[in-house]
Amino acid sequence: MAIAEQKLTSVSPATASSGSFPWRTWLATVDHKKIGIIYIVSAFVFFLLGGIEAMLMRVQLGTPNNTFLSADVYNQLFTMHATTMIFLMVMPMNVGIGNYVVPLMIGARDMAFPRLNALSIWLFLGGGLLLYLSFLTGGAPNGGWFAYAPLTQVQYSPTAGMDYWILGLGLTGIASIAGALNFIVTVLNMRAPGMSINRMPLFVWMNLVVSFIIIFAFPTFTVGSIQLLFDRQFGAAFFNPAQGGDAVLWQHLFWFFGHPEVYILILPVMGMISEILPVFSRKPIFGYSFVAFSGVGIGFLGFIVWAHHMFGVGMGPMANAFFAAASMVIAIPTGVKIFNWIATMWAGDVRLTTAMLYAIGFISMFIIGGISGITLASPPIDLQQTDTYYVVAHLHYVLFGGSILGLFAGAFYWFPKMTGRLLNERIGKIQFWLMMISFNITFFPMHIVGTEGMPRRIYTYEAGMGWDMWNLIETIGTFLLAFSVLIFIYNVLSSLRNGEVASNDPWDAATLEWTMPSPPPSYNFLHIPVVNSRRPLWDAKYPHAAGDDHHGPSSAPSQVRYEYTDEETEGAKDIHMPSLTFSPMIFSGGLTVASLGFIYINKDILGLPTRVAALGFILIGIVMVSIAIRGWILDSRKDSPYLSQHH
Amino acid sequence: MAEHATHDQHAEAHESHSTRFYWMIGAILAVITAVEVAIFLVKDTIGHELFLAILFILSIAKGAGVVMYFMHLRGDARIFQLVFIVPFLLAVTLCLGFLTIFSHHVGIAG
Amino acid sequence: MSATSHAHDEAGQAPLVGSLGVDSRKLGLWAFIGSETLFFTALITTHLIFYARTKADLAAKGMLEHMDPKLYLGIDLTTILAAILLASSLTMVLALAATKSKEWPKFRFWLLATIVLGSAFVLGQVYEFTHLYHEGLKLAPQYVYEGETVKSLFGVTFFVMTGFHGLHVTLGVVWLIAVYFKVRRFAASPENPMDVELVGLYWHFVDLVWVAIFTLVYLI
Ligand code: HEM
Ligand SMILES: [Cu+2]
Repeated sequence: MAIAEQKLTSVSPATASSGSFPWRTWLATVDHKKIGIIYIVSAFVFFLLGGIEAMLMRVQLGTPNNTFLSADVYNQLFTMHATTMIFLMVMPMNVGIGNYVVPLMIGARDMAFPRLNALSIWLFLGGGLLLYLSFLTGGAPNGGWFAYAPLTQVQYSPTAGMDYWILGLGLTGIASIAGALNFIVTVLNMRAPGMSINRMPLFVWMNLVVSFIIIFAFPTFTVGSIQLLFDRQFGAAFFNPAQGGDAVLWQHLFWFFGHPEVYILILPVMGMISEILPVFSRKPIFGYSFVAFSGVGIGFLGFIVWAHHMFGVGMGPMANAFFAAASMVIAIPTGVKIFNWIATMWAGDVRLTTAMLYAIGFISMFIIGGISGITLASPPIDLQQTDTYYVVAHLHYVLFGGSILGLFAGAFYWFPKMTGRLLNERIGKIQFWLMMISFNITFFPMHIVGTEGMPRRIYTYEAGMGWDMWNLIETIGTFLLAFSVLIFIYNVLSSLRNGEVASNDPWDAATLEWTMPSPPPSYNFLHIPVVNSRRPLWDAKYPHAAGDDHHGPSSAPSQVRYEYTDEETEGAKDIHMPSLTFSPMIFSGGLTVASLGFIYINKDILGLPTRVAALGFILIGIVMVSIAIRGWILDSRKDSPYLSQHH
Repeated sequence: MAEHATHDQHAEAHESHSTRFYWMIGAILAVITAVEVAIFLVKDTIGHELFLAILFILSIAKGAGVVMYFMHLRGDARIFQLVFIVPFLLAVTLCLGFLTIFSHHVGIAG
Repeated sequence: MSATSHAHDEAGQAPLVGSLGVDSRKLGLWAFIGSETLFFTALITTHLIFYARTKADLAAKGMLEHMDPKLYLGIDLTTILAAILLASSLTMVLALAATKSKEWPKFRFWLLATIVLGSAFVLGQVYEFTHLYHEGLKLAPQYVYEGETVKSLFGVTFFVMTGFHGLHVTLGVVWLIAVYFKVRRFAASPENPMDVELVGLYWHFVDLVWVAIFTLVYLI
């Protein structure tokens, strides 16, 4: 590895890019790092929107018989809250961090298909915006995030909200599949020499597994929502029992996707944890192959447990027994991972940085969520608990206590690499404790009110059911939780401006992304590194501990800084990266506009004018897509050594 | 960088077939289709079970012919086989699982 | 179309051949085909579930003999369509073989043949759809057969399933045409065999789906 050692000096990222914001280089970018950051920032904005929706709901539920929100608005809020947090927050946040980090970790200059990568981000944003547009055009979707039939048929959801839901998630779905294909090819085919499959960082492993889950799970959801769209737009009645359809079929199609989806949400985060724990324990991960293969096992098993979400339907003893047993089996690989993480910390030289605190917070909260999950996997118990706040507690312990705490760990860990500045550790720790405590204040009582029978998705309740005090406590907890998010925002903004300048390797870490300047140049590596073990950077820094089987370092963090010399950066001019292009953005804009038109193609709102306008939107969309395809072909021609006119 | 191409898996090994070979496969697939249609026309005389059994075997053979020879999956890199066969098995699971659940025996659906 | 391989050009590799020793676009396409397999499986399964139900309903009323919606689907047209698609698979693979041996006139002939056959399939399906529509099978949860109305999702599931297959064939034809012109314009490009191979893989997959639909929907 050609890296020059220099003193710890750095251009501050804020001053380096002073002047007006370089819009063009962002909107037309194909750089995986910039795309990753666009993902991360937009997912965070959606996180705030979803959070606001949650707070409105909690205000409404804080006291019995409250009239702060109407039942209808409440329905829209819980639908949009869950849809946002799952599809517009955790998924894209995982993708964003993966986009930034995975190519760096495997020693690649970019994703395999940079333009497709750009298409994914803009399609995701188009879908998200389309969903949120529904608030302004007559009502957001209101059938719940799993959109149970026949509630979602036009008779019962007459606004266009559910159509926005179908098409908005359709666009983000295409984005997810395209992104997953990109990850699969990148991870399998763009690795640096020596980075064999069994040397890949576990975060890379989990991204690979999740990408396969995405391309195999999303199609059933796509089919289900296409059928639902036909029901709503053309009277097809797939899921309308009154006309011969079957509401339960929707549930099967949805959950065949829906259960793998929860692993799509958690596995990348487990990968992050598996990177962070070893670095701050000064030990390699305990049982690398177990962690990797349990991820694969979870991926497979995740496809045969879907109906544990449907015990309430009454599937009969055979089906119930099968899905209960399969669900309990899946707890085994999950438990394997937890033991491996604990064993990694065991007897390690643990450094309680904020990232590490969040990682430990992840493990502890995820255990609670996992245990409630196992209780729910038992049909007799589930029949008591399903559709109560107990389920809400379970899913928040795995998704907030799990995914989101883990994402904060990742944020503190990789922020210096992405921005060149460290987040403030002191503020970070205060925020961590506030978040841990308020999270538990908010969600732990939900186990109690749930077992006491409080149903989920009710907009209000009578006083004196024994739920009043707990609900008030939960609402107070929500505000504390929101405050801790505000602290994080403050930390980010102030650290971006005057946070401690990050060295290339502030954590004395083991993986390749820390061999580069923070943030890395567009081409990432001056020379593609050659990898000899699972911990290439620890090998370089601690030669005595090198090799796959050896222990990691236990000395103090290294203070050396690796910087490309001017000479080397000069030489890097020959590295050819794909050029900027607006085509992916125009493509996704076109699809979004056409989807908007499609929503109104068969709606009797203003009669003919609406339909004409809808048709117009579809045509504009098609024109935009055609322009984009033409531009795309010309761009790829320009970048190809074989097709450009000069060769 | 010499190890570059060789690590993990050997390079794509293409079995190059002659044009005649493809014509032969095409002919076999055409014959299978003809037989399928033929037994469809006589299905009332051979009984439902036998009809289904023959039909399934023939269609699987036909599909396998397309995948193995026209798509060259046979003899191609292992990763392509993996990336197709795993979802294919999942698809079979999906289909059989759903048909079982919605059958009259186990079913909620009836 | 979207791929760049600059990460590996230092190694002096052919374009796009990466750490697994395979072409990146081909790997991506195979994975996509895997995903599409599940897509069509979900559509076909839905159809089978509802057809079984329709049959049970009719049988209970003793009407299965003359009201079976399967009676709409004469197999003569479908057999022709299946043969067309099968033949197009053969011409496709012959086009690929011609690319590899750089016999460009042969390549053009076979690729054009594939395009023509593919278009014929699409036209045949359009004809089939209009025909069924006039016979009383529509995109609606009932059908009218010989004056009698039967409540059934057969039409809905059938049109959505075969319609999406037809859409895939149509996109395949567009892709074939694009490749035809690209290869004609840049005859010297070393990417040509892979371009043809990729559209070929997609094309055979679309044929494969028809093999399944032909058996599971038309014959059984
Ligand atoms: C130990 C493994 C797990 C088991 C056995 C399990 C089991 C269950 C069961 C049986 C339900 C259905 C409850 C009901 O609706 O009556 C459920 C709901 C849910 N689980 Fe889990 N779970 C596990 C882990 C996870 C993980 C890791 C996640 C996500 C990261 C997750 C996310 C969810 C969500 C979001 C729901 C609620 C879906 C809804 O109804 O809105 N679970 N879980
Ligand atoms: Cu589940």
